[in-house]
Amino acid sequence: MLSSEISRRTLLAALVTAGAGFSVWPRKPRGRAAAPPGRVVLTYWEKWTGPEALTIQNIVDRYNAAQSRVWVQRVTVSEIREKAMLAIAGGDPPDIVGLYSYNIPNYAEAGAFIPLSEFAGRGALPEDHYAPGVWKLLTHEGRHWAGVNGCFSFAFYYNRGHFRDVGLNPDAPPRTVAELDQCAERLTRYDANGRLQQIGFLPSIPSWWPHIWPVMFGGRLFDATTNRATLTDAACVAAYEWVRSWPGRFRPETLGGIASSFEGAYHTAQDPFLSQRVSMIAQGPWMANFRRTYAPSLDFGVVPLPPIESLYDSAAPVGMLECDILAIPRGCRHPEEAYAFLRFTQSREMQELLAIGHCKPSPLREQSADFAVSHPNPFVAVHGAILNSPRAQIAPQTRVWPEFTISLENAFDAIWAGDDVRRTLGAVNRHIQQKLDRAAERREKRRGRSSLPAGAPA
Amino acid sequence: MRLTALRGLLLSLVAAAFCLPLVWMLATSLRPTETALQRSLAILPTIRSDADSGELSWFEARYWLTVAATLRDNFAAVWTSPLADFPIYFKNSLYVSLLSAIGMTLSSAIVAFGFSRLRWRGRDGLFRVLLATMMIPFAVLMAPTYLVFKQLGWIGTLVPLWAPCWFGGAFSIFLVRQFYMTIPRELDEAAMLDGCSNWGILWRMIIPLSRPVLTVVALLQFVHSWNDFVGPLIFLNHEETYTLALGLAMFQSSHGGTPWNLVMAADVIVILPVIVVFMLAQRALIEGVASGGLKE
Amino acid sequence: MTDAPRSANAARRARAVERAATLRGLLWIGPWLVGFAVFLLYPIVMSLIYSFTDYSILEPPVYVGLENYRDIMTKDATFGRALRNTLVYAAASIPLCTLLSIALALLLERDTRGARAVRAVVFLPTLVPVSAAAIGWMWLLNGDFGLFNAALSAIGLPRPDWLGNPRWAMTSLVIMSLWTVGGATVIYVAALRDVPTTLYEAAAIDGITRLGRAWHITLPLISPAILFNTVIALIGSLQVFAAPYVMTRGGPDFATYFYTMYVYANAFTYARMGYASALAWIQFLLILMITAAFFASVRRRVHYRV
Repeated sequence: MLSSEISRRTLLAALVTAGAGFSVWPRKPRGRAAAPPGRVVLTYWEKWTGPEALTIQNIVDRYNAAQSRVWVQRVTVSEIREKAMLAIAGGDPPDIVGLYSYNIPNYAEAGAFIPLSEFAGRGALPEDHYAPGVWKLLTHEGRHWAGVNGCFSFAFYYNRGHFRDVGLNPDAPPRTVAELDQCAERLTRYDANGRLQQIGFLPSIPSWWPHIWPVMFGGRLFDATTNRATLTDAACVAAYEWVRSWPGRFRPETLGGIASSFEGAYHTAQDPFLSQRVSMIAQGPWMANFRRTYAPSLDFGVVPLPPIESLYDSAAPVGMLECDILAIPRGCRHPEEAYAFLRFTQSREMQELLAIGHCKPSPLREQSADFAVSHPNPFVAVHGAILNSPRAQIAPQTRVWPEFTISLENAFDAIWAGDDVRRTLGAVNRHIQQKLDRAAERREKRRGRSSLPAGAPA
Repeated sequence: MRLTALRGLLLSLVAAAFCLPLVWMLATSLRPTETALQRSLAILPTIRSDADSGELSWFEARYWLTVAATLRDNFAAVWTSPLADFPIYFKNSLYVSLLSAIGMTLSSAIVAFGFSRLRWRGRDGLFRVLLATMMIPFAVLMAPTYLVFKQLGWIGTLVPLWAPCWFGGAFSIFLVRQFYMTIPRELDEAAMLDGCSNWGILWRMIIPLSRPVLTVVALLQFVHSWNDFVGPLIFLNHEETYTLALGLAMFQSSHGGTPWNLVMAADVIVILPVIVVFMLAQRALIEGVASGGLKE
Repeated sequence: MTDAPRSANAARRARAVERAATLRGLLWIGPWLVGFAVFLLYPIVMSLIYSFTDYSILEPPVYVGLENYRDIMTKDATFGRALRNTLVYAAASIPLCTLLSIALALLLERDTRGARAVRAVVFLPTLVPVSAAAIGWMWLLNGDFGLFNAALSAIGLPRPDWLGNPRWAMTSLVIMSLWTVGGATVIYVAALRDVPTTLYEAAAIDGITRLGRAWHITLPLISPAILFNTVIALIGSLQVFAAPYVMTRGGPDFATYFYTMYVYANAFTYARMGYASALAWIQFLLILMITAAFFASVRRRVHYRV
């Protein structure tokens, strides 16, 4: 007993010592090259990890090699939406931050980004450099806030093999919502035990773009001119009524946990589409990348998402755009150098390099001749068409959007579980409208005071 | 006799129920990615031989060699994953937890002395204040504490996670004080007569006598800091400062999914050190927690 | 005549001694006092001040009076939802955990080798990091491939979509909370051990049944432990955050959206520190009130031995 007590104590002491040794081990974070002496070090926060990060690092490396004054240090930051804001407020922001286009209103209105026009003397980034939809994403209230860093839209991905299996023509995918409904019904199959074997379509995946469906029904979520949330408009209601009808289209008790277990599987070999358990889905251009990794033999086709019949126009698809952005936080150490780097990334060469690495369409107005040829995504033209369509929408540009989208995701769950659409949307709309009104009113109040010195504690 | 048997059965059922989640996590981390998603209850993976794709039995050495190889592959995949820098997280967690444990033990040993072995006016009132601080919800402190650390220039560093521990914590001080009260006062008086100062009494007599409770305080604080999720979530900014508890959550949710067998391997990496600490100091920990509840 | 000045002197000296003692005491607890002032008192006061402002942390705060509180109380549907979820969780989890941990303590009270081992097993989960436990449980509760549903379908029961279904998500979290009753259990075990056997023997001689003994002897004697555990559980479950944050982010359909998550979202995601502070203060007062009400209602039933 005594000896075991002593040996235990020795072991514990040994462990503590080993732990202490390890904890002060001067280990360099992985994949981090030290800045050469004498260079100005720019800190660049980026959310991407894995293969996407490699492409971004490639651009950073090229910049570091292209000149000898500045060294860009890319740092991976998760939860970047919150972290960047806190770091700016905390007075220690990075020099460049890679966020999403929908973050712009929040940061811009709080004065947390430096508008790029302030650097015009160092070479402007003109409007006609970007595709019109992308320019809309990068600007807010008439000012240009950020550079683009890859742009995407959702399209309709369908399994051509499954189409053939059930006698559908793989070259004639659904063009409208009604056609989608019919195809989905034919593609849904059960095994001998009555279990779901193959699901035609599920509007619940992926879960993080629940606001795409009103667009396909001709609706919009928000009216910027009147600052009104418009979730209760007929088109939105129709879209979510359609969503609500989906779980009931399968035999009772068969869908069960399947739908939600797909959520974590996205991006893996168990991805519902890549593993051929779901025949048709709404997804982004990165699917081409994942096919290469997880399902190289999968034969799929891509077309714009089918809208309701009255909206269908093969020349100008309906859709929704979003992009990654690069912005310069107010209060960063090296804004001038940050702008020089940002400008470098906006060149056609770099944006096409990025687009090819991420399998995305080019966000710029002009494309090089061999962009489409060398692009690994055979369907990049479909995403390009949505990106350049005059009918492509962008997410509401309001500071309340983060709460808007969370509320909408949860309303989607409620509707999916069978709650009344009009009531659910009405509740969200009321909640968001109150926040919108309050935000507008407080902004007005702040404007009135902004001439006074800011004497409040902070 | 029957009662004993029933009791034994109940005991094993309880043990199984509480173990199973951990066992299942470990079992998942032993599966190769292709069969990580199984619908059966089998804990150990089914392995087919390469030659005739027949099922290998547990009695074959090849079976266990394959399991061991999968185990090694999965853990290596996590440890070297490009999605998360687990060696750095591990290092940070150790650093924070050790510094917190040392700071908490030292400060509690000193403060508890002032709260128990010295008599002075206002002592008991302040002690009640100390106990009351345990009621303060973290949410109230969240935003302003962030701003305090911002003013101190600590945001984005590991300092906010361990520095407050050097100023004592209500529960630890309480625990140590309870123990100090059981040491007879006559010892102090005798030491005083020998010309010992309070400081000397603390270091030469009280602390050596209180080793059990101080060990418990250190261990509990180590585990507490190791497990802390909200602190790192709020105060840390970039990946190279992440601790395991936070890095793990980020790894799990990082852009899309990570295969579950790898997530569980990462989970095991995070849990394992706590289990080791527990194995080594099980009785002290349990008694420490129990005594915290008793002597209210 | 000479006595009076001497006693005045003595009194003065006594006061000086006392003052020195107080000063020395304060010096000894100095570390805690400093920490208390900087990391608790100052933040709490600031949080109260911020709660009366519009404060995005990016811009300086602007005083708005009671507006945040008014908005919360009268216009904020998510507040109501989060509060209700939190109360439901506490009301479900606390009694279940109490019953389970007392039952376990009765089973594990004896000092046999087996009971000791099982006690360790029951206690172990309380040490597992919450985020690691949460991720592990996400996997156990996975609708398609989780352990729970594998077990349920093995005995022919339906397979709920635990975390994916608004009706089951809260239940999942309550079940998960049962896994960490080990802390309370060991406290009950210690309390049960403190009950003198002579009391039971006397009662047995008086012909009181086992149940009667449990009700009249055990329960009163472990009531301080019940009080302690319940208060700890109350404070803890009214602020639950990490597990649902990792597992569900509050979804589906806000079914697991807890109060502290809404505070966090307002402070750090929506950049409304003022509003978040007001929410936090309401939570603080609520915790105080519920705990005080609980104390008041059970005080006379708790039996303290001196």
